Amino acid sequence: MAKVALFVPCYMAALRPDDGGHARRVLERLGDEVQTILGPCCGQPAFNSGYRSEAKSVGRALLRAARGHETIVVPSGSCASMVKHYLPGLWAGPRGASIERMSERFVEFGAYVAAHPNVAALPLRLPGAVTYHDSCHGRRELGLTEGAVGLLEQVEGLDVRRLAYEDECCGFGGTFTVKEPEVSVAMARAKLEDVASRGVRVLVSGDLSCLAHLEATARATDQSLETWTLAELLDRALA
Amino acid sequence: MSPFRARARAEIEAGPPAATLSPILRKLVADSRDQLSTASPSDARARAQAARAYAVDHLDELQEQLKESCARQGIGYHRAATAEEAVALVTQLLGDARRIAKSKSMVAEEVGLTHALRVRGKEVLETDIGEYIVDIEGRGPSHITAPALHLNRARIRELLAGAGEDVPDDDPVRLSRAVRDVVAEFFGEVDAGITGANAVIANSGRIVIVENEGNVSLGVSRPRLHIAITGMEKVVADEEAALAVLQVLAPSATAQPLTAYTHFLGAPDEGQERHLVVVDNGRSEILADERYRDVLRCIRCGACMNACPVYTAAGGLSYGSPYMGPIGAVVSPLLWRDGRHADLPSASSLCGRCSEVCPVGIPLHRMLLDLRAGEAENGGSRVEKVAWKSWAAAFAGRQGRAASWLARLGLRAGGRLPGLPISGSRPIPAANPPRDPAMLVPLDSIEPEPERAGEPLPEDVVSAFRERASVVGAVVVDEAEREDGDRRVRATAAVASTGSVLLAGEAAARGALMDARRIVVEVDEASVVRFPQELGPALAGDGDALILTGASRTADIEKQIVRGIHGPQALVVVVGSGTAQA
Repeated sequence: MAKVALFVPCYMAALRPDDGGHARRVLERLGDEVQTILGPCCGQPAFNSGYRSEAKSVGRALLRAARGHETIVVPSGSCASMVKHYLPGLWAGPRGASIERMSERFVEFGAYVAAHPNVAALPLRLPGAVTYHDSCHGRRELGLTEGAVGLLEQVEGLDVRRLAYEDECCGFGGTFTVKEPEVSVAMARAKLEDVASRGVRVLVSGDLSCLAHLEATARATDQSLETWTLAELLDRALA
Repeated sequence: MSPFRARARAEIEAGPPAATLSPILRKLVADSRDQLSTASPSDARARAQAARAYAVDHLDELQEQLKESCARQGIGYHRAATAEEAVALVTQLLGDARRIAKSKSMVAEEVGLTHALRVRGKEVLETDIGEYIVDIEGRGPSHITAPALHLNRARIRELLAGAGEDVPDDDPVRLSRAVRDVVAEFFGEVDAGITGANAVIANSGRIVIVENEGNVSLGVSRPRLHIAITGMEKVVADEEAALAVLQVLAPSATAQPLTAYTHFLGAPDEGQERHLVVVDNGRSEILADERYRDVLRCIRCGACMNACPVYTAAGGLSYGSPYMGPIGAVVSPLLWRDGRHADLPSASSLCGRCSEVCPVGIPLHRMLLDLRAGEAENGGSRVEKVAWKSWAAAFAGRQGRAASWLARLGLRAGGRLPGLPISGSRPIPAANPPRDPAMLVPLDSIEPEPERAGEPLPEDVVSAFRERASVVGAVVVDEAEREDGDRRVRATAAVASTGSVLLAGEAAARGALMDARRIVVEVDEASVVRFPQELGPALAGDGDALILTGASRTADIEKQIVRGIHGPQALVVVVGSGTAQA
């Protein structure tokens, strides 16, 4: 039985707290002992806006909370990418190197589950049809897509329909949606058209941030849509 | 509201740019990917990146060498430190030349050349079909390789009618030919041609220009004076480096293996003058900055904007700069240091697709992050600074109890969208929404997407050449009857992967070529190479050379291909073994 920490990012803690529970239950069914770190931020919003010293102090608090854990599972490709690829660069010299080693202990939820020795034994079953969207950070910086889709395809009874333009951004982009709302929503609508063209109404993603943006836009345009994190889908498929 | 946001909002309200752009660009991105995987060697991007990185790392040295090579060729070599100097230099070189045929050049856009010359009394015609159209419209190009991409055929017909060219319907063939005729007539009496350059080769002094329509072929051969204007970063070390760039340029830009005409211009013809104007205009400053110097590798292919979802949604005119899309968001604030484009780095969701498709490996989205950090340090609003400070205090201090305001703020702000079908606030999704089992039931079954796989290149280079030459629109035969108006030449070499033929020396003479009704090129089977990068030996020396890939064409109207613009309307390729053709 592995001991892992589950880092529930600020966004998830604020917007959909139950998703942390879904992730936790999946990890426990894999036989892990889970300790939850609820609600810190990786620093990405400030970092992406150019406010690096603010990002650094927030990131430092996360690293402090993660201290002592060998494996920190993050149910977000975007946050995991921030911690692994950008956070260490905010420290210079040997400090940066030690933070980089620390950041290597962070692993994205879908990637962690897909690589888990007990994954093949999970009794996953959920009749229905869904489509899958990846955050751009999860896809491009961490290369997560095939692992997550592989997990979905392991679910008995589930029809996983790939999007026609699955490598296109949903338009969220953190503070991008605040600074450029018209363009951001236009991008979301393009993504939602792709989802609708698959003939499905459940959209799954490793990243809640993309999902919240898409769900809000779907509501505003009266598109019937449920958005599920990968953790929620796996948990429901286990029930 | 940032200037980008204001412009993008107006564009989206006027009719979403994505309606025109999205289908075109999605197809282009997929076609480019196929083209790079089937027509290029697997290391094509790495080679191009190495060639451009070497050039950027040895820029001063290569410019010195280029200067000497130009002297040897009899090409005037001139440096312009600023946009104003570039305009003054070109004006001076033009002397009393009055009628000027200009072809596409991003640097000319950057320094405002066409406008400046008109103000000085010159009659300047934009001879590229897309540029001609946006020149009439008066809002500038919306894409670096497809200037009129934002305009649909109906609007183009209206614009042409307004300029006195009535076209009976909005068929892109007729629209393109109407512009072609205006341009061809202008070339009847022309004093100077101004072109850009896609590369200039340090060791030979050759100027490399790619084009599809034939307007560059006319512009560098008909008038007595040719001026090429280019950014100082466009230099490459040698022919091999130029070929490495060409091998990715057209596939990335237009999903073509090579453009219809690829010029290697050497010494000017008898009685002709040729000048090269090398523009700095802020590039030295970029070169000196470790964070951004690699952006000078850019070959202006436009792949980053083709792939950019922000560009697709907002359209190129929203950037308010001659350089749009991700490359525009990086170079515009670096070239214009007065802050006019300081908002452009924020016009990105940082999805990273630009960096992924860039054929010369520029980490565009990381540069956008650095530019944002620079702006936060040196500019940035006071309100935003204060907001981030209090945000940081909340998260760094009270672990686990941090406010959710940021998340909510994002969705709320995203909800205020006057004038769009979405009005009012977007609702914030429920914290733990109830699930409806019926939602898992699919609405319809869907056809699986057809697999997109470009045909692999046949092993045998001669059959590969025959196949690809036909694909790009050449007529491939074993022998050709002589016809009136033929220009018959022999190729120095041919390229299988692109279906191209290389003409050198007298065979490349553009005057005779452009007067011909059709061009018949004899290709010796033994001279066929697999990829453009193997043309190095055939390009030895510093003479004039020209690569032909199909007949002239344009795709400036809704990316629909129209073949046969200026010059010969057909390219006939006669393939045989060397002795049979004597």
